[in-house]
Amino acid sequence: MMRRTKLYMDTVVDIQVATERSKEEAEAAIERAFSAFRKVEDACSRFHPDSELVRACRRIGVPVPIGPYLFEPLKFALELADWSIGVFDPAVGGTMEKRGFNRRYLTGEIADNPADDSATYQDIELDAYNRTLLLRKPMVIDLGAVAKGFAIDLAARELSRFERFIVNAGGDLFAGGADGRNNAWNIGIRHPERRNETIQTIEISNEAICTSGSYERISAAADGVHHIVDPRTKRSPNAWVSCSVVAPYAMLADAISTAAFLLKEEEAPYLLERAELRGVFIKPDLRIVKVGGM
Amino acid sequence: MAKMNKKWIVLCSAAIGVIYASEYYASNAQAYLPQPGSRGETGVQASGSLSPNGPASGDGSLIAGNSPSGDSALSDENGGPPRDSAPGLPSASAPAASPTPSSANKRYNDGTYTGTGSNRRGYIQVAVTVKRDKITDVEISDFAMHYSESDVVDLPDEVLQKQSSQVDNVSGATYSTRAFEDAVADALSQAKIG
Repeated sequence: MMRRTKLYMDTVVDIQVATERSKEEAEAAIERAFSAFRKVEDACSRFHPDSELVRACRRIGVPVPIGPYLFEPLKFALELADWSIGVFDPAVGGTMEKRGFNRRYLTGEIADNPADDSATYQDIELDAYNRTLLLRKPMVIDLGAVAKGFAIDLAARELSRFERFIVNAGGDLFAGGADGRNNAWNIGIRHPERRNETIQTIEISNEAICTSGSYERISAAADGVHHIVDPRTKRSPNAWVSCSVVAPYAMLADAISTAAFLLKEEEAPYLLERAELRGVFIKPDLRIVKVGGM
Repeated sequence: MAKMNKKWIVLCSAAIGVIYASEYYASNAQAYLPQPGSRGETGVQASGSLSPNGPASGDGSLIAGNSPSGDSALSDENGGPPRDSAPGLPSASAPAASPTPSSANKRYNDGTYTGTGSNRRGYIQVAVTVKRDKITDVEISDFAMHYSESDVVDLPDEVLQKQSSQVDNVSGATYSTRAFEDAVADALSQAKIG
């Protein structure tokens, strides 16, 4: 098993490949897989003052041409915002910044961008033909819930010819391989309170599993605030401590797990059923709710 | 909310397809279409994108921030245009280039530097690559396997490459890179000019 680990998007990206193919071939593919993370981060980060996203958001009311590494995840985020009627909303970035989620990792620079409190995804317009972005109000777009998933998917595609591989970006992962007989993976879901234990195990195969949870990133600016903020109430929801979703693509699993986390106890399983996906949700009292035939 | 699983799958695979189409377009444009105005964006990349040791030699100052790297995402097996290509093929590279710092106030020497971060129980080693005053790559090169406890640097077990035999891997809420900041700062101090 070949294994390499790098930092992107303020988390640890760990890639493992097992193959009979040459070491050189696998190493080159792993390098390309990592470079997908770099390209998505350069395009989609709201923390880098010179990311494509931040530069594009400086202009209000005019169409700005954007490249595919930004356009595609943004388009997906807007589709999901529409479908969930704003439960999921990429315009939440300004609120996140105000909650103290404004620090660029490794360098510690603080992001401070203008944002209109009333801005929602409906103030974001994408033109699919001209490949442009138009903002109707000043806002900070947060693609945290889709961009990492998208990078995982691009990385997984680079590795898809190998017999067995895994791309794990800080707990969101795609596990797969070309070997049809032997690519089932046993994935543990982290225990919300006991850091080095798992609370549940599930088997996936050529699929992604992404977990949104309240136990890792806590706001330094306000009590009881973690890194997932409800775009409608501007508060951190507490119906769940962790929501894990399995999907054929990490971008989908990532986005749906974030949306589910924002929902109430009776709503979240329904969301997953409507998306025809499966998942494991954990309540604050550590009760486990399985959805979609886990 | 209508049932829409198919739609999400199509959206995801189309998004990946667009990236591959654009990389394919970019690498072909690079190979066959000389474009005098934009040579710096695609041409110069070649050398030393990840030299394991010591400073990379090339000055590379012409390369724009987001240029597609020489290693195209396409390989023989993944080739071919995607099924769901969107109208208007996306342009080869990101439209706007970030300003490059002038050499006069450059803060770091280009190259790859090793840094270590430690706490009372051990250390972590990273290899940081700097290009044009930007961190372009941070690789964890050593996790210091001599830890007695697993939560040494506030990282979960799977990061420390110690895993239980029951599971192949672990999914959980995204943890941050704070534990690596000392090591990165150490590497940067070696890259610093003057």
